[in-house]
Amino acid sequence: MLKLSLPAFIVAAAFPLAALATDYAIDSSHTYPHFSVSHLGFSTMQGRFDKTTGTIYLDRAAKKGSIDITIEVASISTGFAKRDKHLRGPDFFNSAEFPTITYKSTKMNFKNDVPVSVEGNLTMAGASKPVTLNIDSFKCGMHPMKKKEMCGAAASAQLKRSYFGIKYGLPAVGDDIKLVFEIEALKK
Amino acid sequence: MQDFFSHPAVQAGLVPFIVGLVIAELFHRIKLSGLCIIAGFAVTVYLVADFSFEPLTSTRKLVWLGLGTAALGLALSWITARWLSILLAIFAAISVIWVVQRILQQQETNTMLLWGAACALYLATLTYGLDQLNTKPLRAAHAAFGLGIGTGGCALIGASALLGQLGLAIGSAASAHLFIQLVSNQSVTSKCTFTLPIAIISGIIGCIAVLGAELPWYALPILAAIPLTVWLLPLPQQSNKWMHSLILAFPTFALASTAMYVTWRVAGDVPY
Repeated sequence: MLKLSLPAFIVAAAFPLAALATDYAIDSSHTYPHFSVSHLGFSTMQGRFDKTTGTIYLDRAAKKGSIDITIEVASISTGFAKRDKHLRGPDFFNSAEFPTITYKSTKMNFKNDVPVSVEGNLTMAGASKPVTLNIDSFKCGMHPMKKKEMCGAAASAQLKRSYFGIKYGLPAVGDDIKLVFEIEALKK
Repeated sequence: MQDFFSHPAVQAGLVPFIVGLVIAELFHRIKLSGLCIIAGFAVTVYLVADFSFEPLTSTRKLVWLGLGTAALGLALSWITARWLSILLAIFAAISVIWVVQRILQQQETNTMLLWGAACALYLATLTYGLDQLNTKPLRAAHAAFGLGIGTGGCALIGASALLGQLGLAIGSAASAHLFIQLVSNQSVTSKCTFTLPIAIISGIIGCIAVLGAELPWYALPILAAIPLTVWLLPLPQQSNKWMHSLILAFPTFALASTAMYVTWRVAGDVPY
């Protein structure tokens, strides 16, 4: 009896953990990295990137996870076409030379089974630097229409653009950038 | 004081002009006044960008290559062989490919080859044309001034404030060289230290601006016509330096203005 029940018990015990280890694909239509930067110290300009792809791996039981995001620089949008062209150009993001911004995690930190921050490398305008994303909100559940498991999160980081070699217009156009990732990802 | 040096007109106009003036005058006796170009360029780089290597973007490659060509020009200043013009044109063609290599790699093969060949041809034409003016300081200064202002103006309108400022800086430094020639009424040597950095820096700025932003490609042949026109334009033997300068200024400004106009037609007003 014991011989039969032990493997069954192990399988049964392991199954929920395996179910929690999931690969997610970022839902590009609901994922918008956005940023804010001081303009001449008078106001704070907002911008966002419209095209983002990537994958997330999450194992909440093992408190492990990873995130790999690719942002298309050319999809930048600040609500003013001429400024967008300037931001894509060599003065700022230099999209002709560096068409993507990537974020690759190296470690995901958990509190209980909830991810609270991600450590990783942000590569922008040809420079790769360590950046920690603080996860401000996190929720997993069933997508009401697609009937598919999904997770959503808001993660943010404060960084200096000069750190990435983007120095044009300093100090008039602020050096401190607040970067916010609003992410939705569906189970693969 | 900080605000004064933060003004773009000071960074790309006044400061490179004054530095160019000082360097051209200081090195006049040892026939190296052509160093005024790289001095004016370097001071603007210091004010608006930096001299770092990382990340090695096309603009940073431009800065380092510009400084390198000044050193090369210095070494070649006393060589007057005819083959040197061709050799320098080949060097310029190869160097621009190295600078814009990463931008070209983002393109499909046909586009990459076409753009690469066009940039190489543009740089070779500028370098060859300007090298013919090595022993003609007044013509060289006019070509350099027109090319610097034209390229800087085009880049400012169609691409990037930083590239625009770098182009305008070499134009300002060249105007210092021209100013000394006109005021002192004597020939100030130009040589390779003057013509090579002008050709390489302005040529690469034009290529980056076309490939990486909105400078229309047909602005480049207009700019390339500046040194060729200045080289081939006949000047009356009897006239003085001021009259020669006036005659040279007309086509130079006409070509530079046309290049800026066609850029403005495509890119519209600047967003800065």
